[in-house]
Amino acid sequence: MEAIPEYNCVLTTCPYCGCGCQYYLQVLDGELIGVTPCKTHPISQGKLCIKGWNSWQYVVDQGRLTKPLIKKDGKFVEASWDEALDLVAKKLKELKEKYGPDALGYLSSAKTTNEENYVMMKFARAVMGTNNVDHCARLCHASTVAGLAATFGSGAMTNSIPEIEYANVILITGSNTIEQHPLMGKRILAAKEKGAKIILVDPRAIQLSNFADMHLRQRPGTDVAWINGMMNVIIGEGLYDKEFVENFTEGFEELKKLVAEYTPEKVEKISGIPKEQLVEAARLYASGDASSIVYSMGITQHTTGTDNVKSCANLAMVTGNMGKPSTGVNPLRGQNNVQGACDLGALPVVYSGYQKVIDEAARKKFEEAWNTPNLPPENGITVVEMMNAAADGKIKGIYIMGENPMLSNPDINHVRKGLENLEFLVVQDIFLTETAELADVVLPGATYAEKDGTFTATDRQVQRVRKAIEPIGESRADWEIITDLANRMGRGDIFPYKSAKDIMDEINRVTPSYAGITYDRLDKLGRLPWPCPAEDHPGTVYLHKDGKFTRGKGLFFAVPFLEPAELPDDDYPLIMTTGRVMFHFHTGTMTRKSRELNREVPTGFVEINPADAEARKISDKDMVKVSTRRGEIEIPAMVTERVPEGIIFIPFHFKECAANVLTNPALDPVAKIPEFKVCAAQVKA
Amino acid sequence: MNDENFEPRILVFCCNWCSYAGADLAGVSRLQMPSNFRIVRVMCSGRVEPEFVMRALRNGFDGVLILACHIGDCHYIAGNHRTAKRIPLLRKLLDHVGIDSKRVMLDYVSAAEGEKFKTVISGFIDDVRQIGPIRTGLKWGA
Amino acid sequence: MADDKRVDELGKAVKEALDKGEADRVVGLKVDSDGSVRPYLWVKGDDVSALVISPKYPLSTVYRLVHEKHPDMKLGIVARGCDERALVELSKRGNIKLDEIVLIGIACNSDEAQECVCHVPYPTKISAGDKVEGVDTDELLEKIKGMSLEERGEFWSYYFGKCMKCYGCRNSCPLCTCKDCKLEQELFVTPGELPPEYPMFHLLRAFHTVGRCIGCGECEAACPMGIPLTKLYKLLRDDVKEMFGYEAGMDPEAEIPLLTDLTVNPIESGEGGA
Repeated sequence: MEAIPEYNCVLTTCPYCGCGCQYYLQVLDGELIGVTPCKTHPISQGKLCIKGWNSWQYVVDQGRLTKPLIKKDGKFVEASWDEALDLVAKKLKELKEKYGPDALGYLSSAKTTNEENYVMMKFARAVMGTNNVDHCARLCHASTVAGLAATFGSGAMTNSIPEIEYANVILITGSNTIEQHPLMGKRILAAKEKGAKIILVDPRAIQLSNFADMHLRQRPGTDVAWINGMMNVIIGEGLYDKEFVENFTEGFEELKKLVAEYTPEKVEKISGIPKEQLVEAARLYASGDASSIVYSMGITQHTTGTDNVKSCANLAMVTGNMGKPSTGVNPLRGQNNVQGACDLGALPVVYSGYQKVIDEAARKKFEEAWNTPNLPPENGITVVEMMNAAADGKIKGIYIMGENPMLSNPDINHVRKGLENLEFLVVQDIFLTETAELADVVLPGATYAEKDGTFTATDRQVQRVRKAIEPIGESRADWEIITDLANRMGRGDIFPYKSAKDIMDEINRVTPSYAGITYDRLDKLGRLPWPCPAEDHPGTVYLHKDGKFTRGKGLFFAVPFLEPAELPDDDYPLIMTTGRVMFHFHTGTMTRKSRELNREVPTGFVEINPADAEARKISDKDMVKVSTRRGEIEIPAMVTERVPEGIIFIPFHFKECAANVLTNPALDPVAKIPEFKVCAAQVKA
Repeated sequence: MNDENFEPRILVFCCNWCSYAGADLAGVSRLQMPSNFRIVRVMCSGRVEPEFVMRALRNGFDGVLILACHIGDCHYIAGNHRTAKRIPLLRKLLDHVGIDSKRVMLDYVSAAEGEKFKTVISGFIDDVRQIGPIRTGLKWGA
Repeated sequence: MADDKRVDELGKAVKEALDKGEADRVVGLKVDSDGSVRPYLWVKGDDVSALVISPKYPLSTVYRLVHEKHPDMKLGIVARGCDERALVELSKRGNIKLDEIVLIGIACNSDEAQECVCHVPYPTKISAGDKVEGVDTDELLEKIKGMSLEERGEFWSYYFGKCMKCYGCRNSCPLCTCKDCKLEQELFVTPGELPPEYPMFHLLRAFHTVGRCIGCGECEAACPMGIPLTKLYKLLRDDVKEMFGYEAGMDPEAEIPLLTDLTVNPIESGEGGA
């Protein structure tokens, strides 16, 4: 029989960072063979980073989960879908009846589609009766959502990625943009070539440092201080936008009074940034007609994360850099769909479109839409709280879809204690992750290449994910699994979905900001940025146009500087900070399946300054012990000037030397985001 | 312009059959030569991939000399033909990106040419001394 | 519009080749409802109204991939001048067989030729479009040539310093078909460094384009950082032409100069370094 060649290029969205690059998955005779960039896509423009180029390999990795697994006598045994799902349904029912709905928790996933996040949160709320649903946004940008919602009324990136190319001044802080958001990094350098000035504020020397006009290296955790310091200069020298402040904001007098205390001298003492540099940076930022702030985890992952975000918002508003193209406050979201997972309500306090669960009108609306009376009226608990509650025995069962808290959460040893303490743990994933190993039932999910759906990029652009190949083995799309489960639990009436599109149709109906984002339109337009309230609405490229903030007036918060939760002392004299590298993503479950990516960086390392290394008799590539109050890891040393004296840096991708054994689970009081970016550590040879 | 006392570090690739024997002859003949070069003996100059030369420069050698059999004398018939084509192209490439191509030279030395070996080496070292030390790191070049 | 005419002509040619059974499939480009353009395998009965010609993609790579899996298939390809030249070089390296290709040629218009600074903006057989003059003047290239050694060093170290090591230049190159890539050998390029060790990565890749590079520009198009790779490779192409009289992709009979001995490709000019 002659084989018929079927060659297909399927346009889909990259499953790694939040830039929202689309590219083609190449399929030959039903087999995934590679990636080809899409030249007509506005973000990727025919280009990709190394992760994008290799984003197909994990899909076809031999280690994929292909059958449901049930743990019997401590060992996983393959099971049929019927057996596995019936068991899950039975156990969830039992636990709910025995301990009440709030003894169960659900983790949704920023890796899965919007439709799947919606279905997951609907399952938790409508079928299981609890608001205990959260996802890893808690660990990255919870403080952004909280901080920007409080100041502007909308907790998302204000402007869009292409705009950055036309900014005059770009202030980048806590973002290793070229490595973590490469196609955004490209735009920053393009802006520089068009004449923009770049101010980088980051403790580490990164590739971007070579191109920045100014590189301010602050002590980790002192962001509120230096931002207040910049505003001290800007207001003190009359460089602020009086008209904007007067017309469009409130709370300025309190801010002015507070930042008056943060003189450049005082800030130098706190942050280590020389006062001359601070003054120059403040003047430079204020000088731009279009100054843009770009930030990421370096701002958010602190016990003062929300304060840091509010400070960025203050700075943008003081100078009137809001509501115009190429300005704004631009948090770069780490995951392909972390924006979408938040938008679709995989958070313990809101339904889709940030409609609050404590708001009676919103609750009524969803009770009707979901044909479910008595939706829980209280806020649920967050990721880290869930792990703590599990350890304390208050949470008895957790259902995790596509998350790996055993590597991504702070203080992993504590997480293990929590998960092991559960009566029932379900993990739905594509690989047998560190977390899945602890599960009672493991359900094999399908990857982005094997299903339809949508992702929402960091700049709120909703784009299609398209099925390129059939799911491998018996794996199934996450939405299908949950839909099936809901049916088995007797709620087939409100889970009638036959396709991802069916789910989006429902999302359109109940989510004002997504009302006009339909599959039909996406197939015509390619992408749509929310808010998009109607089918004839073009979407919103940048928010708060003409100073009209979502909340009415922009609200200044006078934020005093607070030290991080844990500071160096005699026992732990170094500041440890964590992050990522270009070649890997998060807990490495996907990138470490790629030969190319693994070859570049096969394992973790601790960056340590030559002075600190010498004092400890450590040479490059030595195995060293890094310890904090939470634990100790063994890890190769990288002796480098990239980190200043007194600071060490560890990427968190690697389970064999997991940075999160060491990190501090202390939480931001508002956003409940842990302080991944600062803790006290010791390094020993 | 350069440090008066600068002595370049030189790497010499010698083919086993001709140039290395030539170097040997120079040694046995007790010819006076500068000592700041290291020889890597290869079976054929055709084995010297351009990558080897780049790597030597990257690792801090100020100059790389490739010595081959005379055309027609190759033990493997045409191995040195490849060298004769590659190295000049490599030199062009270095020149295009702003690295002085005089840092890399190809010459032909037979087993009988001890004296030529000495002349070529000494001349090359003088040339590289003139150019000055190679700079490594991002601004590698010149 | 001239472009519409070209697309019409091409559509007809593709349809004819499929209808007459000259080709079982034709590699070309297709536009989707959202305006995105992708490589596509045209088959008899397809509605060719969705056939487009730009932006150009490395279609010879698609041809090679499909051909590898289905060596007996009569496979056609919509080819610009550069696509044909890539096929010529691929055939010299045994990846494909030139005489098996059903080539449906398309001539680039003068704007396209200008944009690519293309010397020969047409294939040997033309089914759509009209031949236009090749472009010889390249402002940036002339500027680079006019620089001092030191200025050239500064110029390239700036661009190479931007490199994010995506390997896009290699991945999108129609002629990069090695199973084991030198860029991935730890001996030559230290893994995991950003920017990749200057200038090993880039010089290594540049050298490996010698005698292969047909100047299609896909490397630069794929570069997120806008490194003007085509200029560097063009300089080497000119060197190869000057030294060996060889122009990649132009003459299917000409032997690859670096793989032959001096009796086949003597060094025609230029100082040999000796």
